[in-house]
Amino acid sequence: MKRLLRSEGYARARLFNGALFALLGTVVVVRTLATTGPSWGAIPGCVLGAAMIALGVLRYRDYFGARGRR
Amino acid sequence: MRTAPGSNRTVVAASVLAHAPDEPSLRRAVTPWGSFSWGYSDVGADIFVGLGLVLGAAAGASNLAFLFAGLVYVCIGLAYTELAAAYPVAGGGQYFVFRGLGDIFGFIAGWAILLDFTIDIVLFAWSCIDYLSKLAPMLSFTAHPWVHFVVVLVVILGLAVLNIIGVRESSAFNELVSGLDVVSETSILFFGFLFAFQPQLLVHTMQSAWPTPFNLMNGVSLAIISFVGLESISQAAQETQRPASVIPRTSISLILTILIFALAYSNLALGMQPWHALPLDAHGHQQMLWHYLGNEDNNGAAVAVLASYVPYFGALAALYVPVLGAILLLISSNSGVFGSSRIAYAMSGTQLLPSAFQRVHPKYRTPAVSISVFCGVAIVELIFAALPSLSPQLHALYAHLFRGESGITFLGDLYAFGAAASYSFVFIALISLRFNDSQSPRRFKMPFNVPFTYRGNRVEFPIVAVIGFAGIVSILVFTMITHEIGRIAGPSWLILGIFGYLLYRRRKRLPVFRSQPHDWRKAQINILQSAGELDMMDEYLVNVRRMDERRHASSFGPP
Repeated sequence: MKRLLRSEGYARARLFNGALFALLGTVVVVRTLATTGPSWGAIPGCVLGAAMIALGVLRYRDYFGARGRR
Repeated sequence: MRTAPGSNRTVVAASVLAHAPDEPSLRRAVTPWGSFSWGYSDVGADIFVGLGLVLGAAAGASNLAFLFAGLVYVCIGLAYTELAAAYPVAGGGQYFVFRGLGDIFGFIAGWAILLDFTIDIVLFAWSCIDYLSKLAPMLSFTAHPWVHFVVVLVVILGLAVLNIIGVRESSAFNELVSGLDVVSETSILFFGFLFAFQPQLLVHTMQSAWPTPFNLMNGVSLAIISFVGLESISQAAQETQRPASVIPRTSISLILTILIFALAYSNLALGMQPWHALPLDAHGHQQMLWHYLGNEDNNGAAVAVLASYVPYFGALAALYVPVLGAILLLISSNSGVFGSSRIAYAMSGTQLLPSAFQRVHPKYRTPAVSISVFCGVAIVELIFAALPSLSPQLHALYAHLFRGESGITFLGDLYAFGAAASYSFVFIALISLRFNDSQSPRRFKMPFNVPFTYRGNRVEFPIVAVIGFAGIVSILVFTMITHEIGRIAGPSWLILGIFGYLLYRRRKRLPVFRSQPHDWRKAQINILQSAGELDMMDEYLVNVRRMDERRHASSFGPP
């Protein structure tokens, strides 16, 4: 398990997963705004999308931060 | 900060003494993934309990209830991250408040956390059986309340015995279950959003099923239970490798993951078209998915029921999600048994609780008294929660006195009360420590700070802590307004504890309202040295020396 978590493959999988989250987050924000327009009802969807994008950015930073340290 | 180096009366926190060089200490073996999964197995289980309760209370505004509680949780998470990275010791919130606000507030925060841990034991054991009942209907709470009650009781007693003989789930098992659950929940959401989510249905549900202000407040107060458990990461801090750099990374990941799951599940429940037809309600009418998930039959196992209605993936999910959910909930229930005994043990070491709580079993070397006492409290809570369904007379009495709150809702609202009370103190402690312990290096700081000079020291006032404090206090107020039992039982627990604390301190001839002198400098050096954060220790020593020189210069004036 420890070897898997330290492998380059796992780090790349996390990066890919992060990119997917960021993409999905963008889709959620756009679809929410397209459906409801700028209203109170759009806030939960927009925050959900923003959190997904933030998680993607965090994974991206983690990956390139670790590469930089190496 | 009160320091009294060399004084005979000086007390150093037990958790800090634990790693004095000549004494045994906790092994630092928790990796970044271990730290994440430790927290996830506690907080991640909460959505399994919270989703159905919130849908039942806040109906079409459940996503907003989760959003409000989620934003407060982000502030709490940032506060815990800052404090756990600066003070990587096992006490968690109780230690931060004890250090920032002194003995009596340290006791109150610890006592509120102990309430939460005892509820944690019952609520998650209860919900664990609810999830299993989706595969074994004879365990259903509504159909067979006595069987459900006895099985939950056996689970609690079993966990108590396992903890007394010193068996814990292994870290690797914890990591495996957490990993499987993250993949499983992501898959449920992926299939749900891709094939069955309709934004128009979400908007329609929000407009047609908008709750009354009372129910919305009720929903928000229950939604916070989906975010309780960050305590675990800070409790594991003493066993984490390079805590100052690892904890911020894992905490932020955990905060975002849990926020995403909570918001995604609530939006999906309100806007998903079920893959196959839902059963008709008691009056023979068709019902919406959110309504079905929030009723008394399903609110204890809402994630498993939702998963079974997801297109394509639902058939498989219906088989394994109840089992995975039950395992995660059982781990969470066990963390309540373990956490309560550990907090009580630490509080006893700092003379906030009687020394009986430090007594260990002669053979197994575990805090058997603490485990027995808090599992006993959990069993009393279980009986109180289960009574209305076990006896029709008591059901009528509860309906008359407490608006007919169900057992699981009673447990949920007490859980929310304990969490909101302890988190409120953590925010105040964070602000106090920013002022009174500005020398301790902080590798992570909450964002948005206002810098200024306080008693000659450069300090930063945390705006987010104030926002978080206002948010959590409002949730505490919502809990008190909307829950008949929580309004009585929660404050009664605190008052009873404070009364006992005052009696104990008086009998021991210890300061009752004031704190004993603590050598926090020595404590902080021990903490950083034991954490292997030697850069931070050097930085701390330089900061302390500079502060002493400044004070010395100002007290003697210019030459």
